[in-house]
Amino acid sequence: MDNPFMSAISATFSLLVTVIHAIPGSAIAIDYIQNSYQNDPFRVVLELALAIFAVKYMLSKKYRIDTNDIQLTEKNGNQNHSSSLFLTSSAWTQVIIGAQGPKPKVLSTGKNLMNLASTNYLGYITNEDIKQKAIKTLHNYGVGSCGPPGFYGTLDVHINLEKDIAKFLGTEAAIIYAQGFSTIASVISAFSKRGDIIVADDGCNFAVLKGTQISRSTVKWFKHNDMADLERVLESINKESRAHKKRPLTRRFIVTEGLFQNYGDMAPLDKIMELKHRYKYRVILDESSSFGLLGKTGRGLAELYNIPPRDVDMIVGSMANTLSGAGGFCAGAKEVVDHQRLSGQAFVFSASIPAMLAICASEAIRILETSQGEKLLKALQDNAAAFRAVVASMPQAIELSSMPGSPILHLRIPSYGVAAAGISTRDSETLLLQEIVDEVAVKDALLITRAKYVETQELHLPRPSIQISVSASHTKKDTEKAAQAITSAFVNALNKRK
Amino acid sequence: MTLASVYKTDYVQSLDQHSQTNLNSSWVNAKGAWMTNFILIFFIKFFFGIIPGISPELSWTLTTLTYNIGSYIMFHAVTGVPFEFTQGAYDGITLWEQIDGGVQFTATRKYLTTVPVVLFLLSTHYTHYAPFAFFVNFAATAINLIAKLPAMHQVRLFNINQKVEGTTD
Repeated sequence: MDNPFMSAISATFSLLVTVIHAIPGSAIAIDYIQNSYQNDPFRVVLELALAIFAVKYMLSKKYRIDTNDIQLTEKNGNQNHSSSLFLTSSAWTQVIIGAQGPKPKVLSTGKNLMNLASTNYLGYITNEDIKQKAIKTLHNYGVGSCGPPGFYGTLDVHINLEKDIAKFLGTEAAIIYAQGFSTIASVISAFSKRGDIIVADDGCNFAVLKGTQISRSTVKWFKHNDMADLERVLESINKESRAHKKRPLTRRFIVTEGLFQNYGDMAPLDKIMELKHRYKYRVILDESSSFGLLGKTGRGLAELYNIPPRDVDMIVGSMANTLSGAGGFCAGAKEVVDHQRLSGQAFVFSASIPAMLAICASEAIRILETSQGEKLLKALQDNAAAFRAVVASMPQAIELSSMPGSPILHLRIPSYGVAAAGISTRDSETLLLQEIVDEVAVKDALLITRAKYVETQELHLPRPSIQISVSASHTKKDTEKAAQAITSAFVNALNKRK
Repeated sequence: MTLASVYKTDYVQSLDQHSQTNLNSSWVNAKGAWMTNFILIFFIKFFFGIIPGISPELSWTLTTLTYNIGSYIMFHAVTGVPFEFTQGAYDGITLWEQIDGGVQFTATRKYLTTVPVVLFLLSTHYTHYAPFAFFVNFAATAINLIAKLPAMHQVRLFNINQKVEGTTD
């Protein structure tokens, strides 16, 4: 029975052989293959496998391993915009007609409201010396500087301001940035790169958060002003690096703020310096809100704690808040400052500040060093203490997160009273605070504001609050009256909800 | 000790990688790069052929060995880029993984995989299929080819060249 089958196979085989012999040059190929066999079938199989692999590889289609489509997370994919739009509608913000000042006129009512929302802590907005100097500079230098600092945008007034800041703070040198917000982000990313470690306070403001994100460093957060937590984080990093001895040594930074913009309290700098020396970290101190306010002569947190400013590696401050100018600075050792002339992104790629604003900042610092500045600081401290005393006397209505001595006060609804007032979401809490803001604007002629956040981008979003910036340009009586008005507005709002 | 682990790059790192042209790896697609590869092999063979004490068979084996070891070091052992332009987005990534932005089976990758195979077949022919030479050539070519497989993309064996720092929170 197999015979027809076998004969068919042998017939096909001989046909194949005949066909192959007919191909020109086949004799050479067959000869070569016979010679190369050399009694080693394993090797031939290997070579054939390799050749087949090469052919298969050549014929494969290309494909992409990682897709870089934008990841639609819950936050940016299906965001419910309706409630936030409602709250940011223009009906909720006051528009100021004319100049900014301690008692500006607003568009909605045409009345003058007492300004507790601007960071006019020392009253520099209406200071006559600064105004005259500014007008004179405007006549001499014109308006803008027309270029980045590295490309014909540096004027002598910039160099003088840098020297003034360095002398005032007591550091070796300082560098000026054009915008206060981007200063701290630029400084962090100039020194900390991918692979470095940043240990940051989780109450830090949005600019610090953005700085740590764009630096692409490994960020570890510690609980706000909790030194035990900071030590725990530092110890865990230390343990990890000791367990893997072969890892290269990376740069390590502790980032915190002098006066926290979101909470109004101060960082315990003495404890931080002690930990920094023990674990060998560098400290980047963001004094955007505390430069010109803290300490006997306004030199900042280092003066308050009697720490030599050269011990803090980088002091970053803002001339836009207290000095009522524009821009920011970073003060430190000469190498720290010189590195930023090429690596500070906001320094290299932004135009420098106009000459007029640089002169204003220099003049503001000069005033701080005179007796007039001392008087202003004392007035500010008195007003802040008075405001705080009134507000702190009603802890059942207002929760205060600021420390004594801070002119930034954050007033929040007490956390235990939130549920009793029927508030379950962040939006309803914000709405309640906005009612208070509107009420005191109409009833007591006060201009106050809620603290605003980019809610979808903040990592550690603080609770909604009303941010009060006490100013030395008001009298103590006016400040106390304002505090009482705000307190009673809080009480009324909470009682209405009960 | 872990045998094989993946070198993970997160989303932010891949964004950084694709934001600019990678000048460290774009030259493999440039005009003349492929021809230079051939010329290099030719020169290596020529160099080994000139040295008096080496037989033709040995020179072919040495050529294959040199080419495979050299291209392995260049494409698979060295990581990162020599100049900083993407905040270290390519820090632990070898040149082979950087080519064409990680897309597999592109023309350059096919070319660079075929060249060692052809070189191997040539050198086994010219050494008259001697067993020892065969094994040496095969081992070198196999190591080079295994490293180029798409399954080995961003795979690290025995923690060589693996990422050293912790992940971002």
